[in-house]
Amino acid sequence: MAGYEGLRYASLGQYIPLDSPIHRADPRVKLVGAALLTIAVAIATTYSANLLLFVAIFALLKWARLRARDALLSVRPALAFILLLAAMQLLFYNGPEAQTKVLVAWGPLRISVASLRVVAVSLVRFVDLVFLTSLLLNTTTASALTYGLERLLAPLDALGLPGHELSMVGAIALRFIPILGEALETIVQAQASRGASLGGRSRWQFLQNARRMAALIVPLFVEAYRRAEEMTLAMQARCYRGGRGRTHLIRYRLNRGDYAALGASVLLFGGILVGQYIAHWP
Amino acid sequence: MSKHRPTVTRQEKALAVASERAIRRVTTAGLLLAITLLLVFTTIGMFPVPTPAGHATIAHIPAIIGGILEGPLVGLLVGMGFGFASFARATIPMFKDPLVAIVPRLFIGVTASFAFFAVRRASKPVLAILLAVLLGFMLLFSWQMAGTILWLGITWGVLSVAGAAFLFWWMRREDVQVVALGIAAAVGSLTNTVLVLSAAVLRGYIPQEAAWGIGLTHGVPEVIASGIITVAVVTALRQIGSRWRRARL
Repeated sequence: MAGYEGLRYASLGQYIPLDSPIHRADPRVKLVGAALLTIAVAIATTYSANLLLFVAIFALLKWARLRARDALLSVRPALAFILLLAAMQLLFYNGPEAQTKVLVAWGPLRISVASLRVVAVSLVRFVDLVFLTSLLLNTTTASALTYGLERLLAPLDALGLPGHELSMVGAIALRFIPILGEALETIVQAQASRGASLGGRSRWQFLQNARRMAALIVPLFVEAYRRAEEMTLAMQARCYRGGRGRTHLIRYRLNRGDYAALGASVLLFGGILVGQYIAHWP
Repeated sequence: MSKHRPTVTRQEKALAVASERAIRRVTTAGLLLAITLLLVFTTIGMFPVPTPAGHATIAHIPAIIGGILEGPLVGLLVGMGFGFASFARATIPMFKDPLVAIVPRLFIGVTASFAFFAVRRASKPVLAILLAVLLGFMLLFSWQMAGTILWLGITWGVLSVAGAAFLFWWMRREDVQVVALGIAAAVGSLTNTVLVLSAAVLRGYIPQEAAWGIGLTHGVPEVIASGIITVAVVTALRQIGSRWRRARL
């Protein structure tokens, strides 16, 4: 039964309790900073911009006292697939400038300056984003994240959009993951005890596989729906009326360091934009 | 003497119903999002298929179900959660790009919801016409494919005729509501496959030919699986089509 256990420990970029300036920073600042850097990483297509971002993100990771190796550990199983994809991209890249400055050509395969750059950039981008994800999730507790999200979405409430409800959905989801994980574990064991074969499936029988999966997933959905109904009733009984007039036990206050961090990430983001689109760095 | 009974005005009743609906939307979205995250972050959400990558996903199904049960907004929210989760979880560069991992996923629940509400009151002849149109497109596609690779085109044509025949048989047998569920699931699943692969091609991660291959080998099993699972889940929750329902689990 070894395979049926441990689902409740599903890791979700878990919080690692350390003490660092990044751990202590305001969740709002971390969310905004991570969003800005993610966008910057997604739009950076030149060598210089990617190098700059990589150095910045790596420095942040060190500053948060996280280890790069731990962050990359989750990637290891897919390493062969990543390399295969990179090789395909290198040989079959067919975007603009693919025909000019060809370095090596062999039949339909060719390696050009452009394809080299695309591969290098997407690998660096990948590592950057792995680091950024763990930078945000390993230094911030789930409740702090929810709080930050709610405060950031507060302007939406003023516009009549459900900002508070959005963060409520996130909070409920985070709270219920372990509970549903436990429920799933029970379901798996219950179906196994009824003789359902759950392991060792051939990949050719996907129709049967889908059926078997339904035997696990359908009770899970029914359980979740039952809990949602119960919670609806409970919240209604407590006169839940959305975010209006709700207060918090812990209030975060932005200090000078938070403003500095915010300024630094805006500056980096602007620098990437200027460098790539106006100054045309290599 | 009259009893002291609190009088509830019609307005107050309407407010209570509205707030119940709003709360139900929040809680359902929250729990579906929790299932999504559970499916993405453990390996349960993967099922083996005969392709190089080896796995197709069912983690988009909560978004489809959210769209069907509570409308497009909940579908959008759960889809967004799926996008963020697959972005955070990604182990290949393609899905570490928010434009590939997150943006296309927003539409899964929305299109599924619209498809469901569009066809749930349709009559069987209308559904039959829809199926005929679909078969027409499939045959056109196989005709074009036969122009380049003959055997593949013929296989595809035979398969689509067989698929259409099966769907016709299934449609005759089941409730319109159940058929609508199947259609919504297929639409949502195809939205995921088509938009994600288009975004990946546009962003230059995979060549177009590879996208067609992935689309066929992953998209088709995902459509079938999400159809089976969505129909099973929603009929179980809503108690519809119970005429034919036996204990299947």
